[in-house]
Amino acid sequence: MLALGLAGTVWLAYALVTAGARAIVPGLVGVGASWSLSAWTRGAGAPGGTVLAAVGIFVAAEIAYWSLEQASVPDEGELVARRAAGLALRASGALVLVAFVLAALGLRPGGGLVIETVGVLAAVGLLAIVLVLARAVYGAER
Amino acid sequence: MTDDVVRYATPKLGGYVVLTALGLLSSLIFARPELAAVSAPFAVVLAVGLTVSRRPDLRMHVEVDRDRVLEGDEVVLEIELDARDSVPRLELLVEVPRGLELVSGTNRTALRLELGEQRLLELRFRCTHWGAPRLGDAHLRVGDAAGLLVWEQTLEQGTVMRVYPRPEELRQLVGPRETQLFTGNRVSRAKGEGLEFADVRSFVPGDRIRRINWRASARRGELWVNEFHAERNADVILFLDSFVDARRGDRGTLDEAVRAAATLTERYLLEKDRVGLVNFGGVLNWLRPGTGLVQRYRIVEALLNTEITLSYAWKEIDVLPRGTLPPKALVLALTPLLDDRAIGALLDLRARGFDLVIVEVSPLPYAETPPGELGELAFRLWKLRREGRRLQYERAGAPVVEWHERTPLTSVLEGVNASRRHARARV
Repeated sequence: MLALGLAGTVWLAYALVTAGARAIVPGLVGVGASWSLSAWTRGAGAPGGTVLAAVGIFVAAEIAYWSLEQASVPDEGELVARRAAGLALRASGALVLVAFVLAALGLRPGGGLVIETVGVLAAVGLLAIVLVLARAVYGAER
Repeated sequence: MTDDVVRYATPKLGGYVVLTALGLLSSLIFARPELAAVSAPFAVVLAVGLTVSRRPDLRMHVEVDRDRVLEGDEVVLEIELDARDSVPRLELLVEVPRGLELVSGTNRTALRLELGEQRLLELRFRCTHWGAPRLGDAHLRVGDAAGLLVWEQTLEQGTVMRVYPRPEELRQLVGPRETQLFTGNRVSRAKGEGLEFADVRSFVPGDRIRRINWRASARRGELWVNEFHAERNADVILFLDSFVDARRGDRGTLDEAVRAAATLTERYLLEKDRVGLVNFGGVLNWLRPGTGLVQRYRIVEALLNTEITLSYAWKEIDVLPRGTLPPKALVLALTPLLDDRAIGALLDLRARGFDLVIVEVSPLPYAETPPGELGELAFRLWKLRREGRRLQYERAGAPVVEWHERTPLTSVLEGVNASRRHARARV
Protein backbone atom coordinates (compact mmCIF):
# COMPACT_ATOMS: atom_id res chain seq x y z
CA MET A 1 0.00 0.00 0.00
CA LEU A 2 2.85 2.27 0.89
CA ALA A 3 4.50 1.28 -2.38
CA LEU A 4 1.28 2.06 -4.25
CA GLY A 5 1.05 5.46 -2.58
CA LEU A 6 4.69 6.20 -3.32
CA ALA A 7 4.30 5.08 -6.91
CA GLY A 8 1.28 7.36 -7.26
CA THR A 9 3.21 10.29 -5.81
CA VAL A 10 6.21 9.62 -8.05
CA TRP A 11 3.92 9.33 -11.07
CA LEU A 12 2.27 12.63 -10.18
CA ALA A 13 5.68 14.27 -9.77
CA TYR A 14 6.73 12.85 -13.13
CA ALA A 15 3.55 14.28 -14.70
CA LEU A 16 4.34 17.71 -13.32
CA VAL A 17 8.00 17.64 -14.31
CA THR A 18 7.27 16.53 -17.86
CA ALA A 19 4.11 18.67 -18.09
CA GLY A 20 2.20 15.55 -19.12
CA ALA A 21 -1.48 16.13 -18.38
CA ARG A 22 -2.44 12.52 -19.01
CA ALA A 23 -0.17 11.25 -16.25
CA ILE A 24 -1.88 13.30 -13.53
CA VAL A 25 -4.96 11.10 -13.25
CA PRO A 26 -3.01 7.82 -12.75
CA GLY A 27 -0.90 9.55 -10.10
CA LEU A 28 -3.95 10.77 -8.20
CA VAL A 29 -5.67 7.40 -8.62
CA GLY A 30 -2.57 5.70 -7.18
CA VAL A 31 -2.55 7.94 -4.13
CA GLY A 32 -6.32 7.59 -3.69
CA ALA A 33 -6.17 3.81 -4.07
CA SER A 34 -3.38 3.60 -1.52
CA TRP A 35 -5.40 5.55 1.02
CA SER A 36 -8.53 3.57 0.26
CA LEU A 37 -6.81 0.18 0.60
CA SER A 38 -5.20 1.32 3.82
CA ALA A 39 -8.58 2.28 5.22
CA TRP A 40 -10.16 -0.90 3.92
CA THR A 41 -7.64 -3.20 5.56
CA ARG A 42 -8.22 -1.42 8.85
CA GLY A 43 -11.89 -2.31 8.43
CA ALA A 44 -13.42 0.98 9.56
CA GLY A 45 -16.82 2.01 8.22
CA ALA A 46 -15.75 5.47 7.27
CA PRO A 47 -12.03 5.71 7.67
CA GLY A 48 -10.57 8.46 9.75
CA GLY A 49 -9.37 11.42 7.76
CA THR A 50 -11.79 10.83 4.86
CA VAL A 51 -12.54 14.51 4.63
CA LEU A 52 -8.86 15.42 4.73
CA ALA A 53 -7.98 12.80 2.14
CA ALA A 54 -10.77 13.87 -0.19
CA VAL A 55 -9.92 17.55 0.08
CA GLY A 56 -6.20 16.74 -0.22
CA ILE A 57 -6.69 14.81 -3.45
CA PHE A 58 -8.96 17.51 -4.82
CA VAL A 59 -6.51 20.31 -3.97
CA ALA A 60 -3.62 18.25 -5.38
CA ALA A 61 -5.54 17.82 -8.64
CA GLU A 62 -6.38 21.53 -8.83
CA ILE A 63 -2.79 22.59 -8.18
CA ALA A 64 -1.43 19.99 -10.61
CA TYR A 65 -3.57 21.25 -13.50
CA TRP A 66 -2.84 24.85 -12.54
CA SER A 67 0.88 24.19 -12.59
CA LEU A 68 0.56 22.66 -16.05
CA GLU A 69 -1.05 25.87 -17.28
CA GLN A 70 1.82 27.83 -15.73
CA ALA A 71 4.32 25.70 -17.60
CA SER A 72 2.89 26.86 -20.93
CA VAL A 73 1.80 30.42 -20.22
CA PRO A 74 2.52 31.97 -16.81
CA ASP A 75 -0.20 34.01 -15.11
CA GLU A 76 0.40 37.65 -14.34
CA GLY A 77 0.67 38.52 -10.63
CA GLU A 78 -2.89 39.68 -10.13
CA LEU A 79 -4.31 36.55 -11.71
CA VAL A 80 -2.17 34.31 -9.50
CA ALA A 81 -3.58 35.96 -6.38
CA ARG A 82 -7.14 35.62 -7.67
CA ARG A 83 -6.69 32.01 -8.62
CA ALA A 84 -5.12 31.22 -5.25
CA ALA A 85 -8.12 32.78 -3.55
CA GLY A 86 -10.42 30.76 -5.82
CA LEU A 87 -8.54 27.59 -4.96
CA ALA A 88 -8.87 28.27 -1.24
CA LEU A 89 -12.59 28.83 -1.74
CA ARG A 90 -12.99 25.61 -3.71
CA ALA A 91 -11.00 23.69 -1.09
CA SER A 92 -13.30 25.04 1.63
CA GLY A 93 -16.33 24.14 -0.47
CA ALA A 94 -14.95 20.64 -1.02
CA LEU A 95 -14.47 20.27 2.72
CA VAL A 96 -18.06 21.17 3.46
CA LEU A 97 -19.30 19.07 0.58
CA VAL A 98 -17.43 15.92 1.58
CA ALA A 99 -18.50 16.31 5.19
CA PHE A 100 -22.08 16.75 4.03
CA VAL A 101 -21.92 13.74 1.72
CA LEU A 102 -20.49 11.57 4.49
CA ALA A 103 -23.17 12.76 6.84
CA ALA A 104 -25.84 12.13 4.23
CA LEU A 105 -24.51 8.64 3.65
CA GLY A 106 -24.73 8.05 7.38
CA LEU A 107 -20.99 7.61 7.85
CA ARG A 108 -19.09 9.09 10.74
CA PRO A 109 -15.79 10.60 9.80
CA GLY A 110 -13.05 9.52 12.16
CA GLY A 111 -11.77 12.72 13.68
CA GLY A 112 -14.95 14.72 13.87
CA LEU A 113 -15.94 17.53 11.57
CA VAL A 114 -14.75 20.33 13.82
CA ILE A 115 -11.23 18.92 14.18
CA GLU A 116 -10.93 18.22 10.48
CA THR A 117 -12.24 21.67 9.63
CA VAL A 118 -9.59 23.19 11.84
CA GLY A 119 -6.97 21.06 10.11
CA VAL A 120 -8.07 22.06 6.64
CA LEU A 121 -8.34 25.71 7.60
CA ALA A 122 -4.81 25.52 8.92
CA ALA A 123 -3.64 24.06 5.60
CA VAL A 124 -5.48 26.76 3.65
CA GLY A 125 -4.04 29.41 5.95
CA LEU A 126 -0.56 28.05 5.38
CA LEU A 127 -1.13 28.19 1.62
CA ALA A 128 -2.35 31.78 1.96
CA ILE A 129 0.77 32.74 3.93
CA VAL A 130 2.98 31.16 1.27
CA LEU A 131 1.12 33.08 -1.42
CA VAL A 132 1.35 36.38 0.45
CA LEU A 133 5.09 35.85 0.88
CA ALA A 134 5.45 34.91 -2.78
CA ARG A 135 3.61 38.06 -3.83
CA ALA A 136 5.78 40.17 -1.54
CA VAL A 137 8.91 38.67 -3.12
CA TYR A 138 7.45 39.16 -6.61
CA GLY A 139 6.61 42.79 -5.82
CA ALA A 140 10.10 43.41 -4.43
CA GLU A 141 11.67 41.93 -7.58
CA ARG A 142 9.56 44.20 -9.80
CA MET B 1 -14.19 36.71 -30.53
CA THR B 2 -15.66 35.97 -33.96
CA ASP B 3 -17.03 32.86 -35.63
CA ASP B 4 -13.73 31.13 -36.28
CA VAL B 5 -13.36 30.28 -32.62
CA VAL B 6 -12.46 26.73 -31.73
CA ARG B 7 -13.75 25.37 -28.46
CA TYR B 8 -12.19 22.35 -26.86
CA ALA B 9 -12.02 20.57 -23.57
CA THR B 10 -8.95 20.91 -21.42
CA PRO B 11 -7.07 17.92 -20.00
CA LYS B 12 -8.53 18.94 -16.66
CA LEU B 13 -12.06 18.21 -17.87
CA GLY B 14 -11.07 14.75 -19.02
CA GLY B 15 -9.15 14.10 -15.82
CA TYR B 16 -12.03 15.16 -13.58
CA VAL B 17 -14.49 13.04 -15.53
CA VAL B 18 -12.22 10.00 -15.10
CA LEU B 19 -11.66 10.68 -11.40
CA THR B 20 -15.39 11.14 -10.79
CA ALA B 21 -16.28 8.01 -12.72
CA LEU B 22 -13.59 5.94 -11.02
CA GLY B 23 -14.65 7.15 -7.58
CA LEU B 24 -18.30 6.38 -8.13
CA LEU B 25 -17.67 3.05 -9.83
CA SER B 26 -15.24 1.83 -7.21
CA SER B 27 -17.67 2.99 -4.56
CA LEU B 28 -20.30 0.74 -6.10
CA ILE B 29 -18.00 -2.20 -6.85
CA PHE B 30 -16.27 -2.28 -3.48
CA ALA B 31 -19.28 -1.08 -1.50
CA ARG B 32 -17.24 1.76 -0.01
CA PRO B 33 -19.46 4.87 0.12
CA GLU B 34 -16.59 7.11 1.27
CA LEU B 35 -15.08 6.74 -2.23
CA ALA B 36 -18.18 8.46 -3.59
CA ALA B 37 -17.56 11.23 -1.10
CA VAL B 38 -13.98 11.57 -2.36
CA SER B 39 -15.18 11.97 -5.94
CA ALA B 40 -17.93 14.42 -5.00
CA PRO B 41 -15.80 17.63 -5.27
CA PHE B 42 -14.72 16.64 -8.79
CA ALA B 43 -18.31 15.96 -9.80
CA VAL B 44 -19.48 19.27 -8.41
CA VAL B 45 -16.69 21.20 -10.19
CA LEU B 46 -17.68 19.48 -13.44
CA ALA B 47 -21.37 20.19 -13.01
CA VAL B 48 -21.04 23.80 -11.90
CA GLY B 49 -18.13 24.60 -14.25
CA LEU B 50 -19.87 23.29 -17.36
CA THR B 51 -23.14 24.94 -16.42
CA VAL B 52 -21.75 28.44 -15.93
CA SER B 53 -19.17 28.43 -18.72
CA ARG B 54 -20.09 30.40 -21.82
CA ARG B 55 -18.40 31.71 -24.90
CA PRO B 56 -16.45 34.85 -24.03
CA ASP B 57 -17.10 38.14 -25.76
CA LEU B 58 -13.75 39.78 -26.27
CA ARG B 59 -12.59 42.32 -28.84
CA MET B 60 -9.00 42.89 -29.75
CA HIS B 61 -7.33 45.51 -31.86
CA VAL B 62 -3.68 45.43 -32.80
CA GLU B 63 -1.69 48.35 -34.14
CA VAL B 64 1.94 48.90 -35.01
CA ASP B 65 3.15 52.44 -34.40
CA ARG B 66 4.98 52.60 -37.76
CA ASP B 67 5.34 50.15 -40.59
CA ARG B 68 8.42 51.51 -42.37
CA VAL B 69 11.58 51.33 -40.35
CA LEU B 70 15.29 50.80 -40.71
CA GLU B 71 17.22 47.84 -39.40
CA GLY B 72 17.97 48.35 -35.72
CA ASP B 73 14.94 50.59 -35.12
CA GLU B 74 12.32 49.73 -32.56
CA VAL B 75 8.59 49.47 -33.12
CA VAL B 76 5.79 49.35 -30.59
CA LEU B 77 2.90 46.98 -31.01
CA GLU B 78 -0.20 48.10 -29.16
CA ILE B 79 -2.77 45.47 -28.27
CA GLU B 80 -6.09 46.84 -27.16
CA LEU B 81 -8.34 44.39 -25.35
CA ASP B 82 -11.98 45.14 -24.73
CA ALA B 83 -13.85 42.60 -22.60
CA ARG B 84 -17.61 42.66 -23.18
CA ASP B 85 -17.85 39.84 -20.69
CA SER B 86 -15.66 38.78 -17.81
CA VAL B 87 -12.70 36.74 -18.99
CA PRO B 88 -11.37 34.51 -16.21
CA ARG B 89 -8.13 33.66 -17.97
CA LEU B 90 -6.89 34.99 -21.27
CA GLU B 91 -3.71 33.66 -22.77
CA LEU B 92 -2.23 35.94 -25.37
CA LEU B 93 0.60 35.15 -27.71
CA VAL B 94 1.75 37.45 -30.48
CA GLU B 95 3.61 35.80 -33.33
CA VAL B 96 7.09 37.23 -33.58
CA PRO B 97 8.33 36.90 -37.15
CA ARG B 98 11.94 36.35 -38.11
CA GLY B 99 13.90 39.56 -38.03
CA LEU B 100 12.17 41.00 -34.98
CA GLU B 101 13.05 40.47 -31.34
CA LEU B 102 11.10 41.40 -28.25
CA VAL B 103 12.75 44.18 -26.29
CA SER B 104 10.18 44.96 -23.62
CA GLY B 105 6.79 43.69 -22.57
CA THR B 106 5.58 40.18 -21.95
CA ASN B 107 4.49 38.40 -25.04
CA ARG B 108 3.31 35.04 -23.75
CA THR B 109 1.08 36.08 -20.91
CA ALA B 110 -2.10 35.11 -19.08
CA LEU B 111 -4.35 37.74 -17.58
CA ARG B 112 -7.83 38.30 -16.27
CA LEU B 113 -10.28 40.86 -17.58
CA GLU B 114 -13.33 42.05 -15.73
CA LEU B 115 -16.66 42.77 -17.37
CA GLY B 116 -16.28 45.93 -19.49
CA GLU B 117 -12.59 46.24 -18.78
CA GLN B 118 -10.33 47.69 -21.45
CA ARG B 119 -6.66 47.06 -21.34
CA LEU B 120 -3.79 48.25 -23.45
CA LEU B 121 -0.71 46.08 -23.73
CA GLU B 122 2.48 47.33 -25.31
CA LEU B 123 5.16 45.17 -26.79
CA ARG B 124 8.34 46.76 -28.06
CA PHE B 125 10.29 44.98 -30.79
CA ARG B 126 13.67 45.64 -32.33
CA CYS B 127 14.03 45.05 -36.05
CA THR B 128 17.17 42.98 -36.31
CA HIS B 129 16.98 42.01 -39.96
CA TRP B 130 15.75 43.63 -43.15
CA GLY B 131 12.68 42.17 -44.77
CA ALA B 132 8.93 42.40 -44.85
CA PRO B 133 7.81 40.77 -41.62
CA ARG B 134 4.18 40.57 -40.68
CA LEU B 135 3.68 41.73 -37.12
CA GLY B 136 0.50 41.61 -35.09
CA ASP B 137 -0.97 38.18 -35.71
CA ALA B 138 -2.04 36.91 -32.31
CA HIS B 139 -3.31 33.74 -30.75
CA LEU B 140 -5.96 34.10 -28.07
CA ARG B 141 -6.99 31.38 -25.69
CA VAL B 142 -9.72 32.05 -23.16
CA GLY B 143 -10.38 29.60 -20.37
CA ASP B 144 -13.54 29.41 -18.27
CA ALA B 145 -13.52 29.95 -14.53
CA ALA B 146 -13.16 26.26 -13.70
CA GLY B 147 -10.52 25.66 -16.35
CA LEU B 148 -12.59 22.96 -18.07
CA LEU B 149 -13.22 24.53 -21.46
CA VAL B 150 -11.08 26.70 -23.67
CA TRP B 151 -11.93 28.91 -26.65
CA GLU B 152 -9.11 29.50 -29.05
CA GLN B 153 -8.79 31.92 -31.92
CA THR B 154 -6.06 33.20 -34.19
CA LEU B 155 -6.52 36.84 -35.06
CA GLU B 156 -4.81 37.85 -38.27
CA GLN B 157 -4.69 41.59 -37.82
CA GLY B 158 -1.01 41.80 -38.58
CA THR B 159 0.63 44.60 -40.48
CA VAL B 160 3.18 43.84 -43.15
CA MET B 161 6.12 45.98 -42.17
CA ARG B 162 8.97 47.18 -44.30
CA VAL B 163 12.28 46.89 -42.55
CA TYR B 164 14.79 48.56 -44.80
CA PRO B 165 18.47 47.70 -44.66
CA ARG B 166 20.36 50.38 -42.79
CA PRO B 167 22.55 52.17 -45.31
CA GLU B 168 26.27 52.24 -44.66
CA GLU B 169 28.44 55.31 -44.77
CA LEU B 170 30.27 55.44 -48.09
CA ARG B 171 33.14 57.81 -48.75
CA GLN B 172 33.22 57.23 -52.48
CA LEU B 173 31.38 55.31 -55.14
CA VAL B 174 32.69 53.33 -58.07
CA GLY B 175 32.66 55.76 -60.94
CA PRO B 176 31.45 54.53 -64.33
CA ARG B 177 33.80 54.65 -67.32
CA GLU B 178 31.12 56.18 -69.52
CA THR B 179 28.43 58.72 -68.75
CA GLN B 180 25.01 59.12 -70.31
CA LEU B 181 23.30 62.08 -71.92
CA PHE B 182 21.32 63.42 -69.00
CA THR B 183 22.59 66.06 -66.60
CA GLY B 184 24.13 64.70 -63.45
CA ASN B 185 26.97 65.06 -61.01
CA ARG B 186 29.61 63.12 -62.92
CA VAL B 187 32.31 64.81 -64.91
CA SER B 188 31.98 63.51 -68.44
CA ARG B 189 34.85 62.99 -70.84
CA ALA B 190 32.86 64.94 -73.40
CA LYS B 191 33.14 68.70 -73.52
CA GLY B 192 30.15 70.88 -72.89
CA GLU B 193 28.49 72.98 -70.20
CA GLY B 194 30.13 72.31 -66.89
CA LEU B 195 32.47 73.50 -64.19
CA GLU B 196 35.57 71.33 -64.67
CA PHE B 197 38.13 72.91 -66.97
CA ALA B 198 38.98 70.73 -69.98
CA ASP B 199 40.97 72.66 -72.60
CA VAL B 200 41.37 75.92 -74.55
CA ARG B 201 40.62 76.43 -78.22
CA SER B 202 40.36 79.25 -80.75
CA PHE B 203 37.37 81.49 -80.59
CA VAL B 204 34.63 80.83 -83.12
CA PRO B 205 31.61 83.01 -83.78
CA GLY B 206 28.87 82.14 -81.32
CA ASP B 207 31.15 81.51 -78.33
CA ARG B 208 30.21 83.35 -75.18
CA ILE B 209 32.32 86.31 -74.22
CA ARG B 210 32.67 85.09 -70.65
CA ARG B 211 34.30 81.91 -71.94
CA ILE B 212 37.23 83.87 -73.38
CA ASN B 213 40.51 83.06 -71.71
CA TRP B 214 42.02 86.55 -71.68
CA ARG B 215 45.44 85.48 -70.53
CA ALA B 216 45.82 82.89 -73.31
CA SER B 217 44.37 85.33 -75.83
CA ALA B 218 46.90 88.03 -74.81
CA ARG B 219 49.80 85.61 -75.18
CA ARG B 220 48.76 84.35 -78.61
CA GLY B 221 47.39 87.54 -80.09
CA GLU B 222 43.98 86.10 -80.95
CA LEU B 223 40.91 85.09 -78.98
CA TRP B 224 40.95 81.79 -77.20
CA VAL B 225 38.13 80.31 -75.13
CA ASN B 226 37.99 77.83 -72.29
CA GLU B 227 36.33 74.48 -72.73
CA PHE B 228 34.73 72.51 -69.92
CA HIS B 229 33.78 68.95 -69.22
CA ALA B 230 30.07 68.36 -69.31
CA GLU B 231 28.39 67.11 -66.13
CA ARG B 232 26.35 64.08 -66.90
CA ASN B 233 24.72 61.22 -65.10
CA ALA B 234 25.46 57.50 -65.39
CA ASP B 235 23.47 54.33 -65.59
CA VAL B 236 24.24 51.88 -62.83
CA ILE B 237 22.82 48.38 -62.80
CA LEU B 238 23.02 46.48 -59.55
CA PHE B 239 23.32 42.82 -60.38
CA LEU B 240 22.29 40.71 -57.41
CA ASP B 241 23.12 37.03 -57.59
CA SER B 242 20.40 35.23 -55.65
CA PHE B 243 20.94 31.71 -56.88
CA VAL B 244 22.78 30.56 -53.77
CA ASP B 245 23.28 31.90 -50.28
CA ALA B 246 26.08 30.82 -47.96
CA ARG B 247 24.57 31.18 -44.51
CA ARG B 248 25.32 30.61 -40.87
CA GLY B 249 22.63 31.47 -38.36
CA ASP B 250 21.17 34.89 -38.97
CA ARG B 251 23.89 36.02 -41.34
CA GLY B 252 24.52 35.08 -44.91
CA THR B 253 25.98 36.32 -48.17
CA LEU B 254 22.58 37.34 -49.52
CA ASP B 255 21.91 39.51 -46.46
CA GLU B 256 25.18 41.32 -46.95
CA ALA B 257 24.57 41.69 -50.68
CA VAL B 258 21.09 43.14 -50.15
CA ARG B 259 22.39 45.60 -47.56
CA ALA B 260 25.12 46.67 -49.94
CA ALA B 261 22.65 47.00 -52.82
CA ALA B 262 20.36 49.21 -50.73
CA THR B 263 23.26 51.42 -49.72
CA LEU B 264 24.56 51.71 -53.28
CA THR B 265 21.08 52.47 -54.60
CA GLU B 266 20.68 55.34 -52.19
CA ARG B 267 24.09 56.81 -52.90
CA TYR B 268 23.97 56.51 -56.69
CA LEU B 269 20.51 58.07 -56.78
CA LEU B 270 21.80 60.95 -54.68
CA GLU B 271 24.43 61.48 -57.37
CA LYS B 272 21.55 61.84 -59.89
CA ASP B 273 22.51 58.59 -61.61
CA ARG B 274 19.91 56.25 -63.01
CA VAL B 275 19.90 53.00 -61.05
CA GLY B 276 18.41 49.68 -62.10
CA LEU B 277 18.31 46.27 -60.54
CA VAL B 278 18.74 42.79 -61.89
CA ASN B 279 17.95 40.11 -59.38
CA PHE B 280 19.44 37.08 -61.07
CA GLY B 281 18.42 33.91 -59.31
CA GLY B 282 15.87 31.12 -59.17
CA VAL B 283 13.26 33.82 -59.72
CA LEU B 284 14.37 36.54 -62.08
CA ASN B 285 13.43 40.14 -61.23
CA TRP B 286 14.51 43.33 -62.84
CA LEU B 287 13.86 47.03 -62.66
CA ARG B 288 14.73 49.32 -65.52
CA PRO B 289 17.07 52.18 -64.60
CA GLY B 290 15.42 55.24 -63.16
CA THR B 291 16.08 58.18 -60.89
CA GLY B 292 14.55 59.77 -57.86
CA LEU B 293 12.98 58.76 -54.60
CA VAL B 294 10.33 56.59 -56.23
CA GLN B 295 12.99 54.51 -57.92
CA ARG B 296 14.79 54.15 -54.61
CA TYR B 297 11.68 52.78 -52.96
CA ARG B 298 11.00 50.52 -55.93
CA ILE B 299 14.45 49.01 -55.71
CA VAL B 300 14.42 48.62 -51.93
CA GLU B 301 10.98 47.01 -52.09
CA ALA B 302 12.29 44.59 -54.69
CA LEU B 303 15.30 43.88 -52.50
CA LEU B 304 13.10 43.18 -49.49
CA ASN B 305 11.33 40.48 -51.43
CA THR B 306 14.58 38.87 -52.47
CA GLU B 307 14.90 35.30 -51.43
CA ILE B 308 16.69 32.21 -52.51
CA THR B 309 14.48 30.11 -54.74
CA LEU B 310 15.92 26.78 -55.63
CA SER B 311 15.96 26.27 -59.36
CA TYR B 312 17.86 24.01 -61.69
CA ALA B 313 16.78 25.87 -64.81
CA TRP B 314 19.71 27.22 -66.80
CA LYS B 315 19.47 30.99 -67.15
CA GLU B 316 21.47 33.30 -69.34
CA ILE B 317 21.61 37.02 -69.61
CA ASP B 318 19.45 36.87 -72.75
CA VAL B 319 16.38 36.29 -70.60
CA LEU B 320 16.50 39.92 -69.51
CA PRO B 321 14.29 42.25 -71.57
CA ARG B 322 15.76 45.01 -73.68
CA GLY B 323 16.27 48.24 -71.81
CA THR B 324 17.15 46.57 -68.56
CA LEU B 325 20.81 46.79 -69.43
CA PRO B 326 21.33 50.10 -71.27
CA PRO B 327 24.54 50.59 -73.27
CA LYS B 328 27.50 52.10 -71.43
CA ALA B 329 25.97 51.20 -68.08
CA LEU B 330 28.12 50.32 -65.10
CA VAL B 331 27.12 46.85 -63.92
CA LEU B 332 27.96 46.37 -60.27
CA ALA B 333 27.58 42.71 -59.40
CA LEU B 334 27.14 41.48 -55.84
CA THR B 335 27.72 37.77 -55.88
CA PRO B 336 29.23 34.99 -53.79
CA LEU B 337 30.51 33.45 -57.07
CA LEU B 338 29.05 30.09 -56.18
CA ASP B 339 26.63 29.37 -58.98
CA ASP B 340 27.83 28.69 -62.50
CA ARG B 341 24.80 30.39 -64.04
CA ALA B 342 25.59 33.72 -62.39
CA ILE B 343 29.29 33.31 -63.14
CA GLY B 344 28.54 32.64 -66.81
CA ALA B 345 26.10 35.54 -67.04
CA LEU B 346 28.69 37.97 -65.68
CA LEU B 347 31.29 36.81 -68.20
CA ASP B 348 28.67 37.20 -70.90
CA LEU B 349 27.99 40.77 -69.78
CA ARG B 350 31.66 41.61 -69.90
CA ALA B 351 31.95 40.05 -73.33
CA ARG B 352 29.15 42.35 -74.50
CA GLY B 353 31.21 45.34 -73.46
CA PHE B 354 29.52 46.34 -70.26
CA ASP B 355 31.61 48.10 -67.66
CA LEU B 356 31.54 45.33 -65.07
CA VAL B 357 32.68 45.45 -61.45
CA ILE B 358 32.31 42.38 -59.30
CA VAL B 359 32.05 42.61 -55.54
CA GLU B 360 32.48 39.06 -54.36
CA VAL B 361 30.55 38.59 -51.13
CA SER B 362 32.90 36.02 -49.69
CA PRO B 363 31.26 32.77 -48.65
CA LEU B 364 34.43 31.68 -46.84
CA PRO B 365 33.37 32.90 -43.36
CA TYR B 366 30.27 30.71 -43.68
CA ALA B 367 32.12 27.63 -44.91
CA GLU B 368 33.70 25.11 -42.62
CA THR B 369 36.72 23.03 -43.48
CA PRO B 370 35.57 19.42 -43.74
CA PRO B 371 37.24 17.12 -41.21
CA GLY B 372 40.21 15.01 -42.15
CA GLU B 373 43.12 15.40 -44.49
CA LEU B 374 40.96 14.79 -47.55
CA GLY B 375 38.50 17.41 -46.39
CA GLU B 376 41.24 19.99 -45.99
CA LEU B 377 42.56 19.14 -49.43
CA ALA B 378 39.09 19.53 -50.96
CA PHE B 379 38.66 22.86 -49.20
CA ARG B 380 41.99 24.13 -50.55
CA LEU B 381 41.09 22.97 -54.05
CA TRP B 382 37.78 24.78 -53.80
CA LYS B 383 39.54 28.00 -52.77
CA LEU B 384 42.04 27.59 -55.62
CA ARG B 385 39.18 27.17 -58.06
CA ARG B 386 37.65 30.39 -56.79
CA GLU B 387 41.00 32.11 -57.20
CA GLY B 388 41.08 30.86 -60.78
CA ARG B 389 37.66 32.29 -61.44
CA ARG B 390 38.73 35.69 -60.16
CA LEU B 391 41.71 35.61 -62.53
CA GLN B 392 39.38 34.68 -65.36
CA TYR B 393 37.31 37.81 -64.69
CA GLU B 394 40.36 39.99 -64.36
CA ARG B 395 41.69 38.71 -67.67
CA ALA B 396 38.35 39.68 -69.18
CA GLY B 397 38.79 43.20 -67.78
CA ALA B 398 36.37 43.00 -64.88
CA PRO B 399 37.90 43.66 -61.49
CA VAL B 400 36.85 41.36 -58.66
CA VAL B 401 37.07 42.57 -55.09
CA GLU B 402 36.53 40.15 -52.26
CA TRP B 403 34.25 41.40 -49.52
CA HIS B 404 34.55 39.65 -46.20
CA GLU B 405 31.93 39.72 -43.49
CA ARG B 406 32.00 42.82 -41.25
CA THR B 407 34.38 44.69 -43.56
CA PRO B 408 32.97 48.17 -44.31
CA LEU B 409 31.59 48.44 -47.81
CA THR B 410 33.39 51.71 -48.35
CA SER B 411 36.80 50.03 -48.06
CA VAL B 412 35.68 47.43 -50.60
CA LEU B 413 34.65 50.15 -53.03
CA GLU B 414 37.94 51.92 -52.52
CA GLY B 415 39.60 48.63 -53.46
CA VAL B 416 37.50 48.52 -56.62
CA ASN B 417 38.47 52.07 -57.55
CA ALA B 418 42.12 51.31 -56.91
CA SER B 419 42.02 48.22 -59.11
CA ARG B 420 40.26 50.18 -61.89
CA ARG B 421 42.87 52.96 -61.72
CA HIS B 422 45.57 50.28 -61.84
CA ALA B 423 43.88 48.66 -64.85
CA ARG B 424 43.70 52.03 -66.67
CA ALA B 425 47.36 52.69 -65.95
CA ARG B 426 48.23 49.23 -67.31
CA VAL B 427 46.24 49.87 -70.46
